[in-house]
Amino acid sequence: MLFKKNISSLHVPHNKNTASCAPVQISAPKEVVLPMNMQSGHDAEPVVSVGDHVYVGQLVAREEGRNSSPIHASVSGIVKEIAPIKLAGGKTVMAITIENDGKMEADPEMKAPTVTNLDEFLDAVRASGVVGLGGAAFPVWAKLDAVRRNEIETILVNGAECEPYITSDHRMMVDYSDLVAKGVKLMQEHMNVPKIVIAIENNKQDAIDKLGEIFKNDPGVEIYPLETVYPQGAKQVLLYNVTGKVVKGGQRMAALGVLIINVSSVAKLAQYIETGMPLVDRIVTVDGTAVKEPKNLLVPIGTPVSHLLSEVEMKSEPGKILIGGPMLGHAITELDDPVIKATNAILAFEEKDSVELEPTACIRCGRCMANCPVGLNIVAVGRAMNIQDEDARAERLTQLGLKQCIECACCSYVCPAQRPVLSKNLEAKRFLRAYNAAKKEEGGK
Amino acid sequence: MSQLHVSAAPHIHSGNTTSKVMRDVIIALLPAAIASVVLFGMKSLILIAACMISCVACEWIFNKAAGKKCTCGDLSAAVTGLLLALNLSTNVPVWQCVVGSAFAIIIVKCMFGGIGRNIVNPAIAARVFMLVAFSEVAGGAACVLTDATTSATPLETLAPGAEGLPTLMEMFLGMHGGTIGETCAAALLIGFVYLLVRKVIRCHVPVVFVGTVFVCALVYSGFDVVYAVQQVLAGGLLLGAIFMATDYVTAPVNLRGRIVFAVGCGLITFVIREFCAYPEGVSFSILFMNLLTPLIEEWTDKEPLGGI
Repeated sequence: MLFKKNISSLHVPHNKNTASCAPVQISAPKEVVLPMNMQSGHDAEPVVSVGDHVYVGQLVAREEGRNSSPIHASVSGIVKEIAPIKLAGGKTVMAITIENDGKMEADPEMKAPTVTNLDEFLDAVRASGVVGLGGAAFPVWAKLDAVRRNEIETILVNGAECEPYITSDHRMMVDYSDLVAKGVKLMQEHMNVPKIVIAIENNKQDAIDKLGEIFKNDPGVEIYPLETVYPQGAKQVLLYNVTGKVVKGGQRMAALGVLIINVSSVAKLAQYIETGMPLVDRIVTVDGTAVKEPKNLLVPIGTPVSHLLSEVEMKSEPGKILIGGPMLGHAITELDDPVIKATNAILAFEEKDSVELEPTACIRCGRCMANCPVGLNIVAVGRAMNIQDEDARAERLTQLGLKQCIECACCSYVCPAQRPVLSKNLEAKRFLRAYNAAKKEEGGK
Repeated sequence: MSQLHVSAAPHIHSGNTTSKVMRDVIIALLPAAIASVVLFGMKSLILIAACMISCVACEWIFNKAAGKKCTCGDLSAAVTGLLLALNLSTNVPVWQCVVGSAFAIIIVKCMFGGIGRNIVNPAIAARVFMLVAFSEVAGGAACVLTDATTSATPLETLAPGAEGLPTLMEMFLGMHGGTIGETCAAALLIGFVYLLVRKVIRCHVPVVFVGTVFVCALVYSGFDVVYAVQQVLAGGLLLGAIFMATDYVTAPVNLRGRIVFAVGCGLITFVIREFCAYPEGVSFSILFMNLLTPLIEEWTDKEPLGGI
């Protein structure tokens, strides 16, 4: 591109305190809780009953409905309970609780799948239970399936990991570079994609070097160092910064010939195809200002947050505990909440870092807009929300291009009036979605 | 374990606050304030103190009377007071400062809803109000450093090839008549650089505003560069362009809008200076463009990345 416009981004303090901490196997949790909604699509359906014995990697819930994904036992033991649980955010979801027998016995009949062509490859990815491990939790097979309908020119392997503190993907690239490489080669081989780009922020030089060494003689794979800015890993931002392409409203990224897939997801699908062991564990960064000695832990999925926190030394009583990073993660009140497939970090913050900021009046400084990666007119969105007439409000919000908001939270981060700008945008998006859904229903009658 | 806090993302913040922004503006105005004392004597200090104290006091009184939370701590009233003082000449008696400050804070700012809600810049509106209501503001006062007896701002005699004007160096250092804060270009530029370094403002508005006046003067005078530079240095252009046209609240919030706003300010300033009865047009131009701000924002609205 001749006139490549710069996407606005922020220099947020990295705090990658665990960048050099290789993942450590966590001690066995007493039990694991596997919620059925660990993927972005439809809930999975339990296929075991209370009292059943399960091995590590055994299927416990099958894929059900659109964009769903199977779930496997992450420890060996007895199915203790299949009942609804309440998760952070107030959502109630069915979950399977497995009492750990401490043996971590793998299924003796487990074997690697045969993968010789695209169909077998996609079936294997589907069976592996791998979803977007960076946080999106979209089933990887559903994403890769686009190769059947679109001319895919590039697969972008997302190793940006732009959120502060988190080094889960980073350590995956360094400590499991062979698995990442294997996954990349599998996609190359079966999906017939001419170019695979592994995009990594340049604060992870060791990962860039290691993968660069592996692929130095492969013209089909490029290691792309990215500037270390937030939100570099957001798909619209990453796509633009690497390829100069922009997904237009209503378009799918695959229509542009590009797929973006998280680097840990790539490694995990390779692990399944290599060994037959589906997604049952993951690397979780445990850090935050209340943690004295931050760590990366290799954690069975379903392990309660409290168990992770008991594995690290605390500096003080935490005032806030987050699942995910400090920009996008959500605060939890119940420490029994499990680590799910997309959980890349558990952060504990000291009391003084936990108090909600007191918002003051907007001074129209425009920092939210100047720092918005997509250049949304955020001040106008706020003003539009004051329009009383719902039709007029919806029309104005649509006209402003609200749906392009990537929800990166840069606006709230920079606001000198400390206003919850992102929350306001989300509220506007919720309104618009509900309004459009109601209109559609009305039109359908 | 004690009760855990729950709040919406993000959970970290840049640490920037409105009062930090306003504090930076005050710091950026300090060189000009110090220069005003050097150039116009202790009377400047009295003006500055009178305006700042009465602005903050008015905001406190209004908040109390209206039963609102006190917003004096955000320092925006102090900024308004300081800016107003720098826009007055030493001829202005203290009681007029108090009246002007009350007008700025109570009528222009608080009555419209307080910080962030005012339509026009309080300091500018108050200056224009005082210009119309009291004769002492216009014309300016004589600089104590020079032995010139004239208290007029050079703008009154400024014309292409005009004689009897201060030298360019005198103008740059502020050794001529005018309001106390506007004359010393050097001090204002130091403040400008500070604001840029602290990322309080971006350079577009001041550069485009001053640039527009400069280009207009250049073209109007048949490319008399000295005259164009005099247009930039004389009067309140730099003070207005750096500190008042960049006011967040009353200028467009988007960059494209801000550029349109600055061009408008420059054009109106030059037209008033050259073709109207008032020698100075900076305040009027900013005031007028403040009113156009909502329209400019509408005109310059652009689609986000990815379209609508």
